[in-house]
Amino acid sequence: MIISEPMLGLLMLVLIVVVIMMGFATAFTLMGLGIFFGYIAFFNPAEHWWQNRVFDLMVHRAYGAMTNDVLISIPLFVLMGYVMERGALVDKMFYSIQLAFRRVPASLAVATLIVCTFWGIASGLVGAVVVLMGVIAFNPMLRAGYDVKLAAGVITAGGTLGILIPPSVMIIVYAAVAGQSVVKLYAAAMFPGFFLSFLYLVYIVGWAMINPKIAPRLPEEQTRIPVPPWITRFQEIFSRNMFIALLKSLASPSKARGLEIDGKPMTYWALVRNFLISLVPFLLTGGTLALVWWYVVIHQQAGVEEVIEGLQPLGGAARETAAPVDKGTPFQFFLWFGIIAVLCAAWMLRSYWRMTGDRFQLVKLLTTSVAPLGILTVLVLAVILFGITTATESAAVGAAGAFILAFHARTLDWKRTKEAVFLTAKTTAMVCWLFVGSAIFSAVFAILGGQALIEQWVLSLNMSPIQFMILSQAIIFVLGWPLEWTEIIIIFVPIFLPLLKHFSIDPVLWGVLVFVNLQAAFLSPPVAMSAFYLKGVAPKHVTLNQIFAGMMPYMLIVIVCMVFMYIWPGMTLWLPTYLYGG
Amino acid sequence: MTVEKFLHTVDGISTWVGKACAWLIIGLMLLVCAEVFKRYILNMPTAWIFDASNMFYGTLFMMCGAYTLAQNAHVRGDFLYSSMRPRTQATLDLILYFVFFIPGIAALVYAGTDYAMDSWRIAEHSNVTADGPPVYHFKTVIPIAGALVLLQGVAEIVRCVVCLKTGEWPSRLKDVSEIDVVEEQLAHSEHVDDETRKAAIERAHKIDEEARQRGMGGDLQT
Repeated sequence: MIISEPMLGLLMLVLIVVVIMMGFATAFTLMGLGIFFGYIAFFNPAEHWWQNRVFDLMVHRAYGAMTNDVLISIPLFVLMGYVMERGALVDKMFYSIQLAFRRVPASLAVATLIVCTFWGIASGLVGAVVVLMGVIAFNPMLRAGYDVKLAAGVITAGGTLGILIPPSVMIIVYAAVAGQSVVKLYAAAMFPGFFLSFLYLVYIVGWAMINPKIAPRLPEEQTRIPVPPWITRFQEIFSRNMFIALLKSLASPSKARGLEIDGKPMTYWALVRNFLISLVPFLLTGGTLALVWWYVVIHQQAGVEEVIEGLQPLGGAARETAAPVDKGTPFQFFLWFGIIAVLCAAWMLRSYWRMTGDRFQLVKLLTTSVAPLGILTVLVLAVILFGITTATESAAVGAAGAFILAFHARTLDWKRTKEAVFLTAKTTAMVCWLFVGSAIFSAVFAILGGQALIEQWVLSLNMSPIQFMILSQAIIFVLGWPLEWTEIIIIFVPIFLPLLKHFSIDPVLWGVLVFVNLQAAFLSPPVAMSAFYLKGVAPKHVTLNQIFAGMMPYMLIVIVCMVFMYIWPGMTLWLPTYLYGG
Repeated sequence: MTVEKFLHTVDGISTWVGKACAWLIIGLMLLVCAEVFKRYILNMPTAWIFDASNMFYGTLFMMCGAYTLAQNAHVRGDFLYSSMRPRTQATLDLILYFVFFIPGIAALVYAGTDYAMDSWRIAEHSNVTADGPPVYHFKTVIPIAGALVLLQGVAEIVRCVVCLKTGEWPSRLKDVSEIDVVEEQLAHSEHVDDETRKAAIERAHKIDEEARQRGMGGDLQT
């Protein structure tokens, strides 16, 4: 033979890059290349051509993808996303969040970012989010006199957050490729995802505080909360404070008779409902604190005790010695928990003390627009993270929950259900066929020795772990310009994965760095798609260059975030280690 | 039969099968939810659920392969591709369909048939759990799905030829796309004025297309 087998492997790698650039469907390119090179690799003159073992390899790989117990949660999470996307109304969310943050500098930009983060939890589509936010938030920001760059940057950066924040499909695909646990990766991506969105927030607010001209305060009439007339009347009858007023009205509903609530005559049930809405902030704060307390103190201690009981089958005197096993919860936890609880309680007292009609209306707006989406995602994530069910089970329950919420909000009809189902089918088929193709491709690549050749070559460079880290991330960054995340994670990431062990880099940490890295790649001019989506809905006078200029700082923030993650791996690895052990 | 009718018939077959199998996702969701209820609340897990959910999922994505191809929704590196002229696109596609697609998928069908036939012959049952359910029908999905994709691939090749002749891509069946969510969200919005809303809904598909070309298509110059 003229060329050696490892060389064939490298040729394969070059060809795949070339053919992807030519724009042929990647899944089939991978299959075709795999078959060709696999045929050569397995070629045995003694066999008939149709007995070549590459066919066995191919079908086994295909069947492997069909029975992959990680990939199975993809269609379920995708379905959940599509249903939520059709069930929750973004513009209501934006409106109420913007009112809630009306006193913060650059309130519209802050609201945009928060809506994008929330939306990122629900769905992972970059294009649709940018277009939607472009219509809903971009024009109001420009009208309010915001700097074009600030407004454009926050929408494009916020729009790409969706692929990072769990439960994202990208993370599942990485888990399948790297053989890592989905749950662990979710836990690991949790803090960096929210940390990144927090850094964006700090940047926006900080910039607006230093230079208030770029984000002028909204005029008074735009930030006034529309208080319905019944609330004003209600306050006159009972009390200025809505919370006390509602309490009083529950005791003596006859005084409120004759009032109309939301266009309907007053009933006792309506009073109860409004009272419950006024309790929502308290329930949320209390619920979160209680959940943390339950998990850290009760749940883990229960686990410890069970173990002890199991070890002492004879029973008897062991009870006393088993009791003081609370080394799992350090004193520090109680200290911080106490401080935070006191602060929360003070804040609650203050807000209930000052609950005027417009504040109550704001709580009501927030509850009806944000809460359904929020509650569902928090539930799904909590169930996954606390290890109560597997990722697949949580995904199924989450999808069912999304259906129930959407039906309840009357935003889902037959047409939309069909659309969500068909879109799910197409997205799943796209990702999973790509997976089948790449499974064949990578098997042949390894058989030919291409993988080993690359490993030898990289090891011969004598790089330090940090150099390797930077090099690998730089390559992925550059690949992120022309390619979609699916291709990068499924085709190129597996080439790096075996090398991580040599440099003793944690694949979880490296994976999360890749996720964050792709954010930066998708924000880098002049190839970032989200800029073009925004340009499509922006007014004529906004130029593409302004949008790119707006994106640049966010790209730098992403890189700063990656540096933080590298210097301080605890941010990524603390939560998975804490929840599931090393 | 005209060429267009042929294309739409093949598209129709792929789409019909794909949409029918798409409903398996609802089945999968209900199946897993029922199992969650049984396992965590009634404390009586079912042994065959793991195999059953794999079958739902595996059949779902394999059978939707042709549907996805018919809608041109398989991921492709469209960075350069989308800025080419249709004739150039068609030439490239035509070559690559013959070089990669036909051999790859034909091999899948051939190997899958063998694989499924073996499975039928020995009446194979799943070995994931003791006394697992039969899997031969599940393995039969591979050649069937492969054959459907192959058929759709033939239609795509015909498309390329038509495009080479006329310089324009033949039409596809209309179907829901991701960007449609813009319309759905905005149709209900209360805080966006009518004019912007209508303009955005109308332009949504065009914006999607132009963004994929990343300004290399032409009329997006600054």
